[in-house]
Amino acid sequence: MAVTASEMAENQGIRTGIVDCDVHPSPVNIDEIRSYMPMPWRDRFRGGGRGFFGNPVHGSRLDSTPPGGGPPGSDPDFTRTQLIDEFGTAYAVLLPRAFCNVHPDPDMGTAIAAAYNDWLADTWLSKYNQDGVFKGSITVNIQDPAAAAKEIDRWNGHPHFVQVMTDSGARAPLGQRQYYPIYEGCVRNNFRFAVHPGTDGMGINVQPSPGYPTHYIEWHTCLSLGFQAHLVSLITEGVFERYPEFGITLTEGGVSWLVPLMWRLDAEWKALRSEVPWLKKAPSAYLRDHVRLSSQPLENPDNSRHLVQILEMMDAGSILMFASDYPHWDFDSPTHAFPRLPDDLHRRIFGQTAREWYRLPMSDDEGVDA
Amino acid sequence: MGSHVIGRVSEIKPGERRIVEAEGRSVGIFNVNGSFYALRNSCPHQAAPLCLGAIKGMTMPSKPGEYIWDREGEILRCPWHGWEFDILTGRSIFNPHRTRVKAYNVTVEDQVEGHASPTITDDEDDESVETFHVSIEEGWIVLHI
Repeated sequence: MAVTASEMAENQGIRTGIVDCDVHPSPVNIDEIRSYMPMPWRDRFRGGGRGFFGNPVHGSRLDSTPPGGGPPGSDPDFTRTQLIDEFGTAYAVLLPRAFCNVHPDPDMGTAIAAAYNDWLADTWLSKYNQDGVFKGSITVNIQDPAAAAKEIDRWNGHPHFVQVMTDSGARAPLGQRQYYPIYEGCVRNNFRFAVHPGTDGMGINVQPSPGYPTHYIEWHTCLSLGFQAHLVSLITEGVFERYPEFGITLTEGGVSWLVPLMWRLDAEWKALRSEVPWLKKAPSAYLRDHVRLSSQPLENPDNSRHLVQILEMMDAGSILMFASDYPHWDFDSPTHAFPRLPDDLHRRIFGQTAREWYRLPMSDDEGVDA
Repeated sequence: MGSHVIGRVSEIKPGERRIVEAEGRSVGIFNVNGSFYALRNSCPHQAAPLCLGAIKGMTMPSKPGEYIWDREGEILRCPWHGWEFDILTGRSIFNPHRTRVKAYNVTVEDQVEGHASPTITDDEDDESVETFHVSIEEGWIVLHI
C-alpha cells in the first residue's frame, strides 16, 4: 500500500516509505544551466553528453517524457506523479548528469560543476521541493581536486545536499592521494561521496578495459570494472584509515560482483598485507563502515534464490540501498526488481540503511509500502 | 471472459495501435499489415506499460558481423528496458519459450450485437439478396479475452 508524498508531508516531517538513491533530474535545456554560469563560461559551454556509447534502443523510459514537453526528468510534477507518488517514495536522492570530468580544461569542468550545483539548489532543492522529498548531490570536477574541495565548502550546511558526486570516469584510481582534498572536503562538510557511472573512456578519462569495446552492451556491462578498480584502490590505499569518517556510495555500479571481489582481495591481503601495512583489518571489513552500494541495475539470475544468497553473502542488510535510476532506460521498479525478501532485509534495503547513511529522519513505520 | 468491440477497422491503421481497458486489464490492439493482434499491456519483466513501446523490425539471427533487418512492424520493444516481443504471438525474442506476454485473439466481424452494421458498400436496392459486401475497413474489431 503506497503512501503518497502529500500524506507523508503531513506526517510532521517524519516520513514513511522508501528511499530511492539514484534519481536523475534534468534541466529543461542547456540554456538553463548556462544561465547560472558567469562569463566567459556562459559563452563557451555548449552542453554535450558523454560522447560515444549511446544506448542503441533508447536512453530513457519512453513513458518518462513529460506531457508538457522537455526531456525526461525535467518536470518535477511529472516526476512526482510517475515516481514519488506512484511508489510512495519518501526521499529521492538526485544525481544530475553534468559530465564535467571529460574536459581537458579544468576551469571549464569546475564551472560546469558549479553551474549544475547552483541550478539544482535553486530548483529541485528549493522551488520544486515544497515537501522536502528531494535530496541532492554536489557535482564536482575531480580533475581539479583543490577546486572541487572549494566547491564542496560552498555548500556547507545546505539542508538538502547529502553527498558529493563524481562520474566513475577518471584518469587514475580513486584511492590515489591527488584526490584527498576532495575527501577532506567531504569529511569537513559531512557529505558522503558518490561515484556514478559515466565518462569512462570519454574525453580525457581512461577506459577501464583493454582498449575500447565495440558495442554499448559491452561498455555498459563493463561499467562495473571501473567501480571494482576504484573500490580496491580506495581500500588498499588506506583512504578509510586516513579518513575514518569518509564514506562512499557506489551508485549504479552493479551489486553481485562485490562478493567474489572481496573474497579475492581478502585472500591476497593474507599474503601481501606487508605491502599495505596501514590496513588494520581484512579489506572486506571496511565495507560496513565506509561503503554503500545502490541496487540498480540489480542482476537478475534465472533462479532468484541465487540472488538472495548473494545478498546474504554481501551483508546486503548493512550495505545495499534501493535505487530506481528513474527516468533512465534500465529503471528498477520498487515493486518488481527484487525477489521476495525477508521483511527485515526489505526494510533495510528500501530505506533504513539510506536514512542512516544520509542522516535522514528515521521513521517509526519503515517499509509500509512494500 | 468475453468479447469486446474495439471499433471500426479503419480506426486503427496498419502500424498503429490502441490501448483499451477490458475486464480490468489494459490491452494493446495492434494493426500489423492489415491483421489485428492484441497483447496485455504489462511487461512480464517489471510490469512496464509494454504496449506503449516502439513498434519496430528486428535484427534477425545472422553470422557475426552481418546485419539482417526484417519483420518491420512486427516487433514491440518495451518502453522501459527495451525487451523485444513478437506482436503476432506475444513471445519474447530472446526467450520465446519462457518469456512471453499474454496474447489475445482478435477477429474482424461484419456485424456485432449492439453496434451498427457496417455500411453497405454494394448499394443495390435488391431485398431478395440477403448478403452484402463489406470492405474489411468497415468491419468491427473484436477483442476476445
